[in-house]
Amino acid sequence: MANEIKITQSDKYAAGIFFYAAIPLLKVICESEPKYGNKFKGKSFVFQISAACEDAKGGKMATHFTVENGVWTTHAGEVHEKPDIEFAFPNLRNFAIFFSGKGMPLPKIVGMFKHFGLFTGILGALLRMSKLMQAKDKPTNLADQIMLCKLYLYLLPNGMSRLNKMGHPDIKVVTDSSPDRAYALIIEGYPELQSWLRIKAGKSMSGRGEYKRCKPFLAMKFKNPSLALDILMSKADMVEYIREGNLFIDGAPEFGGTIGGLMFKVAYYAQGTYLDVEK
Amino acid sequence: MAGGITFTAVDSTKLAPAEIFGKTIAELGAQDPTIVCLSPDLATSTKMRDFFEKFPERFFNVGIAEQNMIGIASGMAKSGLKPFASCFSVFASLRALDQIHTDVCYQNANVKIIATHGGTSFGQAGSTHHAIEDLGVVRTMVNLTVICPADGLETANAVKAAAAIPGPFYIRINRGFDNVVYNAPDYGFEVGKAVEMAPGTDVTIIACGSCVYQSLQAASILEHDHKLKARVLNMHTLKPIDRDAILKAVMETRKIVTVEDHTVIGGLGSAVAEVIVEGGKSCILRKLGIPDKWSPIGLHEDLMAHHQIDAEGIVKNVLDVMKMDAEKDEDWGDEV
Amino acid sequence: MALTRQEWIGLEKKAAELRDLCLDTVNWAGSGHWGGSSSSADILTILYYKYAKFDPQNPDDPDRDRIVVSKGHVGILLAPLFSMLGLIKKEDLKTFNLTGSKLGIHLDSNKVKGLDSSTGSLGHGSPIAIGMALAGKLLGKSYKTFVVLGDGECDEGSVWEAAMATSHFTKRGTNNLITIVDRNHNMIDGNTEDIMALEPFADKWKAFGFETIVVNGHDFPQLAEAFDKALAGGPKPFCIIADTVKGQGVSFAQGNYKWHYGALDEAKYTTAKNDLAAYAKTRIERAEKEGK
Repeated sequence: MANEIKITQSDKYAAGIFFYAAIPLLKVICESEPKYGNKFKGKSFVFQISAACEDAKGGKMATHFTVENGVWTTHAGEVHEKPDIEFAFPNLRNFAIFFSGKGMPLPKIVGMFKHFGLFTGILGALLRMSKLMQAKDKPTNLADQIMLCKLYLYLLPNGMSRLNKMGHPDIKVVTDSSPDRAYALIIEGYPELQSWLRIKAGKSMSGRGEYKRCKPFLAMKFKNPSLALDILMSKADMVEYIREGNLFIDGAPEFGGTIGGLMFKVAYYAQGTYLDVEK
Repeated sequence: MAGGITFTAVDSTKLAPAEIFGKTIAELGAQDPTIVCLSPDLATSTKMRDFFEKFPERFFNVGIAEQNMIGIASGMAKSGLKPFASCFSVFASLRALDQIHTDVCYQNANVKIIATHGGTSFGQAGSTHHAIEDLGVVRTMVNLTVICPADGLETANAVKAAAAIPGPFYIRINRGFDNVVYNAPDYGFEVGKAVEMAPGTDVTIIACGSCVYQSLQAASILEHDHKLKARVLNMHTLKPIDRDAILKAVMETRKIVTVEDHTVIGGLGSAVAEVIVEGGKSCILRKLGIPDKWSPIGLHEDLMAHHQIDAEGIVKNVLDVMKMDAEKDEDWGDEV
Repeated sequence: MALTRQEWIGLEKKAAELRDLCLDTVNWAGSGHWGGSSSSADILTILYYKYAKFDPQNPDDPDRDRIVVSKGHVGILLAPLFSMLGLIKKEDLKTFNLTGSKLGIHLDSNKVKGLDSSTGSLGHGSPIAIGMALAGKLLGKSYKTFVVLGDGECDEGSVWEAAMATSHFTKRGTNNLITIVDRNHNMIDGNTEDIMALEPFADKWKAFGFETIVVNGHDFPQLAEAFDKALAGGPKPFCIIADTVKGQGVSFAQGNYKWHYGALDEAKYTTAKNDLAAYAKTRIERAEKEGK
């Protein structure tokens, strides 16, 4: 049963990405798309997603949102003692399988009946997110493409920074030796479709929007959301796209591989690839 | 000289300065039949292919013989041609220096030397291929105009200027990628005149070559993180140097940091120091560059960070300099 | 086209005047590179007075033949020669080497009209001459380029870089480049074969692709024959090795490496002056006798 599952380090990395980088995107969905956000208009409640974890303080890991009058605040990696609604996974493995889309091991849902209206709203937003992010092909309409780009762009640097903070050796090897440098992902013509990762001597931080301190050390600049998704969803060859001008590496090209490598590392966990590879 | 550069600024963001040199010289070659190009088995590395393909009869590959190349260029110049001789900076400035000295500069021959792979831009090749002494060395050559352009478009401007102005030129550009500083060629490039890239009165950062971009980023960080306004001067011409811009910076900011991909002995920092000292006004100067040590091997960007001539290194040093005072002025008592 | 008797005698007289004036200049200057100058005197005389298309009245003529004297330390020979050609005032020879003079040990082409290149750092002349030859072809000129090397100078690697390039670029203009080596067998520290052996010298030039001919560099008919051959043209570049004597014509200096550079006292000056006069006389007599 659930207790017999041996939780691996990879499960923990995946959980780190989901708790800190992926689940917070729920707020982005609700704020960007009124269709989902309006469900919570004027509402105040606490919603949490958690997974039991022996190593964690209090025996579980979680990320929760406090919603005040329909305004969302994210508490990534923080456990709320008494959420109104909670999706509670019995372990990190099930949690990872669920969020990576590798399966549907349903969590225990607390508060579903008491707050049924909110529950359906949350479920709707979560399904919107997973439908976008777990789709095999890119969406056909521009609005969905923009939304998915936003999710990817916000997820990736955040996920890289999380893996670094968790001490992932493949990430540390890059950050430990790095001077203060920012790597940015930019979709041209869409100011909100930007995000960045700043690393310096082992430390890392991620951010959304423009990197304001200076021009990033290196920026991957995509021509438009559709072409960006080809790369982000591994549908196209990066070198070819650079040659064709669909992707422009603004910065020393030798370092394009660095950010690319980090992105693939996040994807390896977030898409659940590790679940197949490390069986 | 008629005509301008026809390739667009957009293209320039995707081309390395050496490639832009290649395109520029090919275009200039079409306008001026006396332009010839010489290369010591480096037509590919120094991007002279375009010229070679257009004007094979005006391209001379002299084999791996830099001294011979510069001597030949001198003879050509003395016979009415306008030779552009290109090779790695380290070999142009050191191996062929005697020829630059006697055949070119002493005779004021109209030879244009395009010195590629400047500074540590060919970082992985190690110190045999790092050109960290060239600016200091060639700066001492009489008659020689020395330019270290900040990016591709400035390279194009410098090459055009060299073609238009009689006399020997040494233009130092990098290998491969360079960050883009200018988006359009018409920013007012003039040989011997520094370009103010950012206004400021707290400190002046004077840079050349790839360090101009780094200095601009440093200025941005200084403003963003520390509320400091740094003036940034692109000192693309090391010789003749823009004395007025330096002395103005001394008067107005009293703190100067020079940044160059070159040893701190003899290059931009030394040139600026000479002007400052002769100006007679006290000022704090910090010279950033390669210290008096052989550089490690590595990627250019990493070596720049190692030598603190990248944005963050410049910021760190500027902050140090901001703590220093040019004069001791602890006594604030009123005179009676 | 062999040398006529008249031409030969004329050249002998010019060479005699040049040697004499060179000796005077050494005397005025106090010292000078006299050894290497005396060995080159005949080569430069025949070059400037017979073979080079060079009009001293129009020294900037773009169609003139180019002459690069790579052994630049013979300024003290070139300056008198240029004064004979009317390009330097005779009076200026008396300032040679003096502070403020426009004439120094190595001549400055920006100060001496008609001098095609400043030289002095050895091994530089050939590349410059190659540049001139290539430019000539490209600009549609038919001028020839002559470069005069010293033999000791051939220790320099750049001489051989240039030798390789001269052969390589024949189709692009260096077929019009004629290399003359003043083989006087001596350098500052001694005989070339003791310091850094050059022999087999002619074979070296041949191996580098030159049509090579060795002649007596103090014999005008032989020099003329060599120049005629060189100027006739051919697929290969031409190298004339002019076998000469350092200090030629002066009893105490002849063949003595120590006279690469030196000062003359009153007695030596007088001896040299007399020796040169006798030497000239002998040579002119021979020209008169053997000339046709």
